[in-house]
Amino acid sequence: MNNALEIRNLNKSYGDFQLKDVSFSVPKGSIVGFIGENGAGKTTTLKAILNLIHRDSGTVEIMGMDTVAEDKKIKENIGVVLDGCNFHDNLKTADISKMMGSIYKNWNPVMYKRYLAKFKLPDNKIIKSFSTGMKMKLQIGVALSHEPQFLILDEATSGLDPIVREEILDVFMDFIQDEEHSILISSHITSDLDKIADYIVLIHQGEILLDDDKESLINGMGSLKCGTEDFNKLDKDEYIRYRNNAFGYEVLVKDKGKMQKKYPEVIVDGVSIEEIMLFYIKGVK
Amino acid sequence: MKGLILKDLLNLKGTFKTLGVMLLLFAVVFIPAGNNFVFGIIIFMFAMMVITTISYDDLARWDSYALTMPVTRKEIVLSKYLVLGILNITGAILSLCVGFIGTMVMGRSFSMEILAIIGVVFLIAIVFGSVMLPLIYKFGAEKARLMLILCALIPTGFLLLLEQLQIPIPTDANPWLYLLILVAFTLAGLILSYGLSLKIYEKKEF
Repeated sequence: MNNALEIRNLNKSYGDFQLKDVSFSVPKGSIVGFIGENGAGKTTTLKAILNLIHRDSGTVEIMGMDTVAEDKKIKENIGVVLDGCNFHDNLKTADISKMMGSIYKNWNPVMYKRYLAKFKLPDNKIIKSFSTGMKMKLQIGVALSHEPQFLILDEATSGLDPIVREEILDVFMDFIQDEEHSILISSHITSDLDKIADYIVLIHQGEILLDDDKESLINGMGSLKCGTEDFNKLDKDEYIRYRNNAFGYEVLVKDKGKMQKKYPEVIVDGVSIEEIMLFYIKGVK
Repeated sequence: MKGLILKDLLNLKGTFKTLGVMLLLFAVVFIPAGNNFVFGIIIFMFAMMVITTISYDDLARWDSYALTMPVTRKEIVLSKYLVLGILNITGAILSLCVGFIGTMVMGRSFSMEILAIIGVVFLIAIVFGSVMLPLIYKFGAEKARLMLILCALIPTGFLLLLEQLQIPIPTDANPWLYLLILVAFTLAGLILSYGLSLKIYEKKEF
């Protein structure tokens, strides 16, 4: 049982969209960044993991337990933040503690209070008066206060200013210091994932295109810029995707060191997660 | 499940206050006039608050979030029926209190009529809730609100039809028999309604 999450051949079909054989895993003690454009299937996948939608086929295991058979047991041990604030406008933070205290067996009101203080959230105001950032911090504080093993976060950092994002990313980093804890975080803000993710999973039109550890992606892959003539010299298995524009070709290569050696006359730059994502989605195979 | 019920009651805290003020106003206006209308209003206002809680849930997109917690779909549905029950009973108790105090202040005696009205309206409010909840789960709170009006029209239309066709409505039978039939009908409806809501909710995707 070395994976916090393991998805195998998940399929879900809507009329105009489908998840096709989605498989990936979240190793224990790691942060997996789940990226893709809007509508690529990130939220649908997360919903299928959480049984919010019924899957057509495939299995999902969290901490070695089947999510359909052990639904309740699993949900005691995971913390979830969905896109947006899910608490009613007229509640106060203390009301939430009361509620959650009778929902989760291991709700920890002291820890909750600590997070409220850490995030500087007022306890005498109704949620309605909170800013977007405050609401998001509240959601994250709640998700952490029943001492979960595994966090599932859907766009938890989008819509936040850089200062708040930084604060929240630190909380996530703290969370996984315990080697048993893991995080699956979906986002289209890839710079956040550059900072904290150990693995990157890229989904596009309901299919997983890329699943690898971040270091080897960043260290290995490169962007090679060249003209048409040089491009034609490239072997098809030397690159992953290419894009061409008025100035020539940009080519995503698997091994930038090797390519630089082989073609010393062209420029091979490093790539960020965002560039890799753009190549995969916009580029040509 | 306790948490879900608590959530609804916490959410209604503000509504309760507004309702209290309205209640006082109604009591002052209607009771001196000897109008028993007020008892029905109180119970119905309380019973209908279950719809308010669902609207609140929709606004916060609560249900999909609740399902990420150790809460089953069955518990979510059952908690709504329990909230309906709690609200109804609260309404009935308040009605009784208003009835007692009102008759005392007015120097009249507390009549069986008031008790009968409260009992019958209590049952009708449960029937009403039983019709509403599956409709809300199927069509959403907004559409269901419109259907609610239709629901009220159907029995009225039915009675009018009976009148038009000059079918005599029995009047002289034992009132206890009617009460028994009404209670049995309400219970059967409630169970059927819960089963239906659960079936709709189990299939729902968020």
